[in-house]
Order: sequence, then structure tokens, then C-alpha cells
Amino acid sequence: MIGFSTVATPVGILIGMLVGLIPLIVGIRLKKIPAGIGGFFGCALSGFACGFLGGIPMMILTTAVVVSYAYTVKDDPFLSRAALDEVDFTETRTQFLIRSFASFGRALRAASRAVLRNRAGFVGFVGVMFFLLMTTFGPLVIEYDGRAHYYDRLLPGSQTLFQGPSAEFPLGLDYQGRDILSHIVYGGQAVIATAVVAGILTTLIAVTLGAASALIGGIVDTVLTAITNFILTIPQFPLLVVIAAIVNLDDRLWLAVLLAVLDFPTLMRAIRAQVLSLRERDYVEAAFSLNMGLPHIIVREVLPNMVSYIVISTIFSIRAAMYAQVGLVFLGLVPLQEPDWGVMILVARQQGALFLREATSMLLSPILAIALFQLSLVLFTRSLEEIFNPRLREGL
Amino acid sequence: MTTPLIELHHVDRTFKKDNQPIRVLQDVNLSVYPGEILCLVGESGCGKTTTGKIIAGLLAPSAGEVRYHGENVNQLRGERLATYRRDHQIVHQDPFASLNPAHTIGQILSYPIARHRLAANRAEVRRRVWELLTLVDLTPPGDIVNKYPHQLSGGQRQRVSIARALTVNPRLIIADEAVSMVDVSIRISLLKTLQRLRETLGVAIVFITHDLALAKYFAWEGRISVMYLGRVIEVGRTEAVVHNPAHPYTRALIAAIPEADPEITRSKARLTLRSEDIPSLTAIPPGCAFHPRCPFFVPGVCDVAPPPLDVPPNYEQQVACLPLLGGGALTPYAEQDATV
Ligand SMILES: Nc1ncnc2c1ncn2[C@@H]1O[C@H](COP(=O)(O)OP(=O)(O)OP(=O)(O)O)[C@@H](O)[C@H]1O
Ligand SMILES: [Mg+2]
Repeated sequence: MIGFSTVATPVGILIGMLVGLIPLIVGIRLKKIPAGIGGFFGCALSGFACGFLGGIPMMILTTAVVVSYAYTVKDDPFLSRAALDEVDFTETRTQFLIRSFASFGRALRAASRAVLRNRAGFVGFVGVMFFLLMTTFGPLVIEYDGRAHYYDRLLPGSQTLFQGPSAEFPLGLDYQGRDILSHIVYGGQAVIATAVVAGILTTLIAVTLGAASALIGGIVDTVLTAITNFILTIPQFPLLVVIAAIVNLDDRLWLAVLLAVLDFPTLMRAIRAQVLSLRERDYVEAAFSLNMGLPHIIVREVLPNMVSYIVISTIFSIRAAMYAQVGLVFLGLVPLQEPDWGVMILVARQQGALFLREATSMLLSPILAIALFQLSLVLFTRSLEEIFNPRLREGL
Repeated sequence: MTTPLIELHHVDRTFKKDNQPIRVLQDVNLSVYPGEILCLVGESGCGKTTTGKIIAGLLAPSAGEVRYHGENVNQLRGERLATYRRDHQIVHQDPFASLNPAHTIGQILSYPIARHRLAANRAEVRRRVWELLTLVDLTPPGDIVNKYPHQLSGGQRQRVSIARALTVNPRLIIADEAVSMVDVSIRISLLKTLQRLRETLGVAIVFITHDLALAKYFAWEGRISVMYLGRVIEVGRTEAVVHNPAHPYTRALIAAIPEADPEITRSKARLTLRSEDIPSLTAIPPGCAFHPRCPFFVPGVCDVAPPPLDVPPNYEQQVACLPLLGGGALTPYAEQDATV
């Protein structure tokens, strides 16, 4: 089962605060106290949200940023104006660590500046963060309203438990008189988690096979191309429907795998073409001539120039996976499990939301949630482009 | 004479295009000696880059062999192959494509040093990067080292390219039109840097250009090899080739060099080719490939078999021209026509 299993636990906040001590101490030591405090809160919050998995990476990121504020360029012997003989390049392990941390932190700051600079990207970033925070922290604030209500919420003179938005229930009530807002808050987890896992799987498969196909060539290339062609000739969604009807997809992980397997060929072809073209670049030829070895050439010369493309493709795969998933739910081919945005759309329709004015909210809320999340993702890719392209990142 | 660093023996190279073979190189024989400058000159498409890549080991010949210290490079394995690769570095033409945009200059230069353990530790790597940047006149190094390629000018990038080639202490640098895409104003200083590196480091340079005037300037103390449609047609000391060109094609090229002094330009012997069109590589004329354009064409001699490369009487350079090698003087084709 995939999902936000460690969401917002007290242990999480403890972990977050513990690891947050590191940027805090570093900040105090280097006399960059505001940055240190910022780091502490960053760690505490992300530990709270994701437990260990959030606290540790956050610690590394924030410490790097703190160090980068404190590490001024004149600490680098390389940048001194002295003659070569007078420069001492020797440095201790700690000094090296600090220098590497500082340059990592500078890159992070450049990246965050890039996010802020691009308007559309920033709006997307805020949107994505909003949905992620809502699904992780929302459950702390809002209680899940899962029990059916009958007469206690029936409005006098009304035929149905459906209700439009009101002060008490901002998004109204559904066919069982339950609070729609709580379903929106709780119902994103499964949808988003499955889509993200499917998107990442798609990219992993596509990049591995695409790069292998382009770099090894020969029979490997022929076979892989044949497989992708085969998958591409079958209409995707109908096939998905057929498979979903046969296989029992009660584990969301298997659904994600299935979505990935059906979605990877297009991306794989694009990756293959990119690797083929990058392989011909002069700097790759120079690396061959310098006898740098294939691993270096793939990891250092070819991949870095594809990162932005890969990350953006991941976002688009996430998007596609989300649509496919909601589509399957809507057709009732995945075991229905509340709360889930897709299930809400399906049930709203079944309960006659198309004809009842009071039921509009139950139908529109999940649709809007999905649409807005997707829009945010797409807008956010604008920022990603700037983050990963050194030309755009440095603002020149 | 010293033993050559690298020799091409009867090298042919064929590319396939639309299932039709294109003979880009035919029977190329060339040697490069330690520390020398060898210029490859010729019109666009005559196979200069291909020759350079074969010398660098980036391309295999379709026929013939490449010898490295007397050994066929096909037989090199392991450490010997690695040394061969590292001994020959290439500097590309396009300063905007030759450096990886994802890395800083410091990274670009440290990777090869670290990879081949050419420095004892991290501090030594950084010292070496500093040294290399000063060596190619990129000073102060601190201003360059953390920049990305897109933040440098074309000339600076070419210098980084040269520094990158130098990281592995090569014996030969192949500069493929290395200055043709930079501003004319910095061309000379870039050439001076290359020249200085050759003198101080003793590295040989194969300088590829389509501009004979540039070759004359740069390789005055070296040799020039003139190529035409995939063959070397004349090779010898620059001074000899420039002052006493033998092959009609070389003569035409030399005559076309503009001189600073208009008097000299005016008095220079004009050489009119019979045709301005360069034949296609898919339809190379039989015999001497130059004969359809040659003002000294001798029917029945020039259009039969490809001429060998040899030293004709009264010349010191090697030339591939049958009438010259036969010892006769060149007579204009039109006059022959009149006497018939
Ligand atoms: N990989 C290849 N596949 C097919 N044809 C090629 C390939 N590389 C080169 N050629 C052809 O070989 C011929 C010679 O190319 P080459 O690059 O060696 O010429 P060049 O003398 O360097 O020309 P230029 O001055 O334009 O750089 C050209 O006609 C080119 O189209
Ligand atoms: Mg070329």
C-alpha cells in the first residue's frame, strides 16, 4: 500500500526538531542566526510532515543554505589574487566539507531565486505546495466525516441530504449529508500518491531503457524499440480498462505499476532520441578522447543536460497517471475506497448530481481539486526549467 | 630524422550516406613528428576533420593503418590504448558546443585530472587547474573557475578547450579550425597562445584550416599538407610550399592569398582555373582529381591513374602531380590546344 503513511505524527515532529538542531547549531557557530532558526523550523515541519524521510533531507538542505551564507568567497584559496607559489591549496577534510556544502547551498539559493523569478512557475509552486500541505496537514485540522447522516442534517422541506455551500459547511454536504470539505482534504492522498509513484516509475523505466537503447544499440535497441512500438500501437486507455477489469487492482501500488508500464514508451523514445543527439556533441567526443570512460560520460556529460527534460517529463507522467487513475475509478474498475476524489465524482454522478442543484458542489469540488492540482503542476514546470538550466538559473 | 608520433599509412575512409558509399579519404599518408606544427589545408569538405579524427583515434580508418610509435593502433590494448588516446587531444571548432554547459570551468578541468590520477590529492588538483588556466592566459583564474561556459566569451571558451586538452599532458593537439569561429581581433592572441604552448610544452600541433593565409602565418616553422577531395596533394616545409608551390592547386591557392602590399598583389601571377566547381565526393574524377579544373591539364596523363606523392626535380616538398614528377615543366592547357 502506498500513501502518506507517516503523515504528521508526533514522532515526526520530534525527529524534525532533533535534526533541526544541526542547522541551528551551525547557524549559531557561524553567526548566521536567522538562517539557522529558519533551518530549524524547516526541519521540524518537514519531519512533522514526512517523519524520518522528511527530516533528514531537510537537515542537509537547510544546513547547506546556512553554511553558504556564512562561507564568503574569500575563504576559498582559489580565489585569492596572490601568485600561484604563495597560494596554499591544502585543506582539511572539514574545510573541504564546508566548501562543498557552501557551493551546494549556493546552488539551492540560486534555485529558489529561480522559482521566485518566474511568475507562472511561482504560482504553480504555490498551488502544488497548497495541495501537498492540505493533504498532509489538513487532517490535523479537519475531522473526517465518514459516517452517513440522516435526519439530523436534513434541511426542513428538502428532499435530499445534498446541500450547497453554507457557513458551517464551506463546500456543502454530499448525498449522505457528509461534509464535502473533509472528503476533499482526505481524498487527495490516495490519488496524489498513486499518481506520483506511477509518474516516477514511468520516468525510471523510460530513462533506463531509453539510455540503454541509445548507448548499447544493436540488438538491444531493436528489441526495445519493437516492444515500445507494440505497446504504442494498442490504444492505451481501452487496454487499461480491459486489464483493470481482469486483474484485481486493490493494491494501489500495482495500479501505479500498471499505469507506468503503459505510459513509458512515449517518454522512452524521446529519451532515446535525446541521448543519441547528446552523444554526438563535441564535448562528449572530447570526453571520449580524454578516455573518461562510459560511466563518466553517461552520468556527467549526458545526463546533466537532460535533467530538466526528465524532471518535466516526470511531472507530465504524474499528470497522465492521475487522469488515467480517476478515469478507472470513474468507470468503477478499481475497488472503490473512500475518501477519494475519483470516487466522489463517480458517486456524485450516480446519486443524480447532474440533475440536482444542491448536489453541484459534490460533483464540482473534486473536479476542481483535480484540475487545479494539475494546472499547478504544469505551471510549476516553468520554474523547473529555470532551476535545472544553468543558463537560466544564473540569470544571464 | 626522429621517429614520428603518429603515422597514417594508406588510410581510406568511407562513409555511407543513403546507402551510397562516399569516399571521404583515399590513400592518405601523413606523419606527425614530436613538437612540430603540421597544417592541414584544403577546401571545405575535402576531409580535413575526418583526417584529424582518425589521428585522434576518434574514428577508425576503413582501410590502411594508423601507427602509434610504430604500432598499429588496432592492436593496442589496455594501458597502451589509454596512453594513445590521451596522447592525442582535439580542440573543436565551435566554442559554443565544445564545453559541457552543465559544469563549471573548474569541474570541466578537474574531471580528467582526477580520473587519471594526474594529481596526488584534491589540493594538487586545484593547483593544477590554476596552473592550466594561467597557461592558457585565463587570468586571474579565480574569475573563471566558478563560471559556467555560457558566461564566457567565445575566445575564452576556446582557451578552456585548450586547457582541457592539456589536462592529460598530450603529445599532440589537433586544433580543428580552432580559431575560425572566434572574433578576428582575438584570433591572433589565441594563435600566439597555441604557439607558446608548443614551444614551452613541446606538444605537437596539427592545425586544420581552410585558410592558407592563416596556415602560412601559423605554421611558418612547420609543415603544410594540402588536401584536395580526400587526398594529400602536396606536403612539405611551409616556407618551401609557400615560396615555391608545386601542385597547380597549391599554386592557385597561394595566388589567391591577398598581400598587404597592393603592389605585390597586382604583380602576382594570376592563375585562372578552368572551372570553379568542386566535384562532388560521390563523383570524383578519375586520375588526378584536380584535372578537370587544372590549367596545366595533360590529356592522357592526368586523367588515367591517381598520381603518387613524391618529390619532383627542383622541389623539396612531396607533390602528387604526374607531369611534374615526370620532370617536365607545366604548360598551360589552352596552348597545347592551339598547337594541336
Ligand atoms: N559521419 C559522417 N557520415 C557521412 N558523411 C560524413 C560524415 N562525416 C563527414 N562526412 C562527409 O565527409 C566529407 C568530408 O568531411 P570533413 O568534415 O572531413 O571535411 P572538412 O575538410 O573538415 O570540411 P570543413 O572545412 O567543412 O570542416 C563531407 O562531405 C562530409 O559530408
Ligand atoms: Mg571540418
